Amino acid sequence: MEDKHVYLSESWRDEALKRLQAELTPEKMNNVTTSMSNIYKTCPDGVEHFLFLACEDGKVTRVETGTGEPPEAVFRIIGNYETFARISRAELGAQRALMTGKLKLKGNLTKALRLAAVSDRLNKVLAKIPTQY
Amino acid sequence: MTRILDPNDKYYIDNPGRVQAIQAEMHKRDIDVYLGSRIRTMSFVMDTFCPWRSYLVIPPEGQPFYFTFVVDSMRVADETWVDEDHVLAYGPMGGMEQVSAITDLIKDDLGIKKGRIGYEDGISTWTAEGNLSHWEYTNFKEALPGFEWVNAHDIIDGLSIIKDKGTIERFRTASLIVDEGHKAARAALENGGYKGMTETVIAGIAALAMRKAGSVSEWNFAGLNEISSGYRTGLGACTPPTTKEIQAGDPLMLDFHSMFKLALGDHSHNYLIAPATKRQRWHADNFVAIVQTVLDNYRAGTTPGTLAAIMMDFAESRGCGDFIQPACEHGIGLFGDEWRIGAVVNPDLPYWTDQNHVYSENEMVVCAMQYAAPEEHIGFRYENDIVIVKDGCEILSKYPLGIEEIS
Repeated sequence: MEDKHVYLSESWRDEALKRLQAELTPEKMNNVTTSMSNIYKTCPDGVEHFLFLACEDGKVTRVETGTGEPPEAVFRIIGNYETFARISRAELGAQRALMTGKLKLKGNLTKALRLAAVSDRLNKVLAKIPTQY
Repeated sequence: MTRILDPNDKYYIDNPGRVQAIQAEMHKRDIDVYLGSRIRTMSFVMDTFCPWRSYLVIPPEGQPFYFTFVVDSMRVADETWVDEDHVLAYGPMGGMEQVSAITDLIKDDLGIKKGRIGYEDGISTWTAEGNLSHWEYTNFKEALPGFEWVNAHDIIDGLSIIKDKGTIERFRTASLIVDEGHKAARAALENGGYKGMTETVIAGIAALAMRKAGSVSEWNFAGLNEISSGYRTGLGACTPPTTKEIQAGDPLMLDFHSMFKLALGDHSHNYLIAPATKRQRWHADNFVAIVQTVLDNYRAGTTPGTLAAIMMDFAESRGCGDFIQPACEHGIGLFGDEWRIGAVVNPDLPYWTDQNHVYSENEMVVCAMQYAAPEEHIGFRYENDIVIVKDGCEILSKYPLGIEEIS
């Protein structure tokens, strides 16, 4: 049985970067340069966590996880841990979570919508990581 | 791509200067941020067509931030002079609906945590004015505690009342476009062409001619190109066209609207479809004479009340005072700016034209007169954009004043 990575742990982060770089070509990422910080509220350990992703010219260059203030990003998405976990388990679509108010977006909505498909591609890769929540 | 402003363009408007003038007025009134919501405010500042519910957040300095429904934000960003980063969208997403998106901008991005917010309250005779709704006001207020809300629409109203050169040029062109609509309608009606023609068809013939000449919209909220024939000409000043066929012996009123770079062409012209009776001719001659009298009396320094009195006295002298409506203009500006004359809220009848408003040079109105004898199934309407000048007025539609009998 495949080892599971603890969600948002260092090993999960490294696996995420490895898979995103391997599976998403710059073309699939529309050669986009952008960044995003997911802010996790109401985490099981009682501490606020973040997941930061950055792409340059379509290549995923950084995946960071941690607690406290996340790195500056073009977009910030704020929600409960469980909502993000459901998205990562592919039980809930990110767009649906946003459009039902379960997630809150901060940033330029016009630009964000142009990245909706790219965001879905990222989430699909992350969903395949064997993860322990 | 953001529009580059060219001061050498005959239609140039100093949009950054307008924003600075608003900010100077905000400063005088201790207003820390202005939240605009009316269509006229969007047109005046953004200088592009903003039909969806939009908001303008004007900080104490720098470019304004514009918010609109996400379906239209890219198009606005492509057409306006405001840079792309200042054209923002709201939409049905957490954190992105109107109240969250705008309050986050004010509090987090602009860093304005408390102070005075200017907003746009009031009432209008037309539905689409765009004042902040009770729901919006209540929810913005709740999301922005510590702010004092100040009704400040008169800042925009005051700054937009005197038209600059580029704005007047736009209105001149819009009015000449309307004339193309009237020429096309006249050509379609004459030599029996009116037979079997409906009001909607003549509206469409004019619309096509105006579009060919550069109009982008028939803009008018009360029915686009307004047409009335026969008894409908006596029904008042709002006649969206119907499928009623134009008949011999009908009076016919054609009120065409064009839009050119947000300037609103508006000219009504009337006909009698032969054979006209002597009584119809008498009404028509009365109306033309009344219109000419009013136009002859516009000038800087006069007032709406004075002009209305001149008009009524003249009509009475011709024995037709019972048929003329007692007002002769409505306000006009870029798209969304209609109806009320002047900028000050009239304390006696709030949000109606102050009859003592004193006209200034380069102020614009639509000279608008309505003559109605509903019992006799006849009426006429005149509308024309005019610019007030020192000793008179410049009439922008050049279509000749008159009521011809055509067959």
